[in-house]
Amino acid sequence: MRIEDVELGDELPEERPDVSLETVRRFVRAAQMDFPRFTDHDAARAEGLPGAVIPGIMSQSQLAAMIHRWAPGSAILRIDTIFRTPMVVGTTVVCRGAVTGINDDDTIEIDLTIVSEESGGTGVLGTAHVRLSG
Amino acid sequence: MADVDIRAVRDEWVGRVFQEIELVVDRDRMLEWAITAGETDPRFIDPDHPEFQASTAFPTHINAARMLPDDFPLFGTGRGIDGGKSIEWHRPMHAGDRLTATVQIGDIYDKTGRSGTMVFIVNRMTFTDEQRRLVATVDWRMIRQG
Amino acid sequence: MILDLHTHSVRSDDGRAKVDNYCQWIRRKELPLDGLVLTEHRQFDASSDYHALEDKYGLLILKASEVETDYGHVLVFGVNEDLLHAFDFGRIDNSLPDVLAAAKRCGGFAVPCHPGRKNVGLFAHYERRGPVEGVEVVEVHNGGSIPGEDERSVQEARRYGYRGIGGSDSHIVSRIGSCATEFEDDIATMDDLVEALRAGKCEARTWPT
Repeated sequence: MRIEDVELGDELPEERPDVSLETVRRFVRAAQMDFPRFTDHDAARAEGLPGAVIPGIMSQSQLAAMIHRWAPGSAILRIDTIFRTPMVVGTTVVCRGAVTGINDDDTIEIDLTIVSEESGGTGVLGTAHVRLSG
Repeated sequence: MADVDIRAVRDEWVGRVFQEIELVVDRDRMLEWAITAGETDPRFIDPDHPEFQASTAFPTHINAARMLPDDFPLFGTGRGIDGGKSIEWHRPMHAGDRLTATVQIGDIYDKTGRSGTMVFIVNRMTFTDEQRRLVATVDWRMIRQG
Repeated sequence: MILDLHTHSVRSDDGRAKVDNYCQWIRRKELPLDGLVLTEHRQFDASSDYHALEDKYGLLILKASEVETDYGHVLVFGVNEDLLHAFDFGRIDNSLPDVLAAAKRCGGFAVPCHPGRKNVGLFAHYERRGPVEGVEVVEVHNGGSIPGEDERSVQEARRYGYRGIGGSDSHIVSRIGSCATEFEDDIATMDDLVEALRAGKCEARTWPT
């Protein structure tokens, strides 16, 4: 994707990533953070959480993957995500992005959100600064 | 929490480096991370790709043995929540790279929100390579609740 | 005239929006906004000058603050030197009565925001401690509300006889304008805005985004 292919306001195709218990378990092992709050609903509730929660860094990674699919070969120079409310493993979450800035150096700004489909609440919001490949 | 002077803590601790670690970037971990996070870009999931590298959020999982300095004040109940992370990339991270991660307190502030009174502690980890070139900077906003 | 009365820029610790990008977004998406008020967390951003952006995009850009009190968060409009010295904008435990009184005394106007939030909003505090004298207007539509919160804000505002405003509470560019406030008269300055809030010549608005 080249800078001339992008317009302010363009929306990335929304995605519903795999946040199943099995996948989260594999992720947290890779991330060396295999804690019950991410992999065990009962244990998470005992901690005061609504259930096993999707790790924030997994959500951040899923947003990055969405950007890479939309703009193959692009480089994410900076990504910044705020973890607002816990999102529960095994529910449906929706990743969205929108182009909010086009810079003179062929980089763009993208707003990012992850919303719970069940509650409508925003679990993650953030921004990315991306250099396009073309 | 009301007894802790956040501003005094901020003045004392922000900018102080309290840990440095050496690490080697693990190829298998890079791969599994990218695949389970849903990456499909071959740069991150194909070890034979000429640009095979760690995926965007990979450095965020690298924790130093100490996330906070030894004598850092205890805030509130001590219960921690992850408030968010930012990663700034300067050059790609490759499997087998030998890196140095330097850890410091980036910022400290308090605020109230849906979870009540919170203290935000920003743990800043800076990764450099063997040529001392900047690779990535990760800011981790740790929340301590009152 | 329609203004988003509650927005954050990169000046707020959790804000990620540049004001120029807000303006571009408003124009690109043809949002029904004539301007915005930047309400940065726990500070008044005295140094930023947005006149050039106002001229470039034909939008009104005003500055205010969102401060924290023992009854939840409060938007403070009409911040001046006197008000900045009246209480500590950086504290998270200011007394709401003190903030309301200081705003009035110094020519400003204070509006509790997202009052319907569970446990931490104004009305949750009212439930535990009773109402506070001096509240006239609350933010009944907030773009960051989860289902049920704005409904509670509207209901309780009606119960206490409070007028309502709206604001997106945007921290990223694409969230601006989801809620706003419509004014009967033209607003050109913060003084105009404060006067309109005092007189009740405005109404909260909300749109799907």
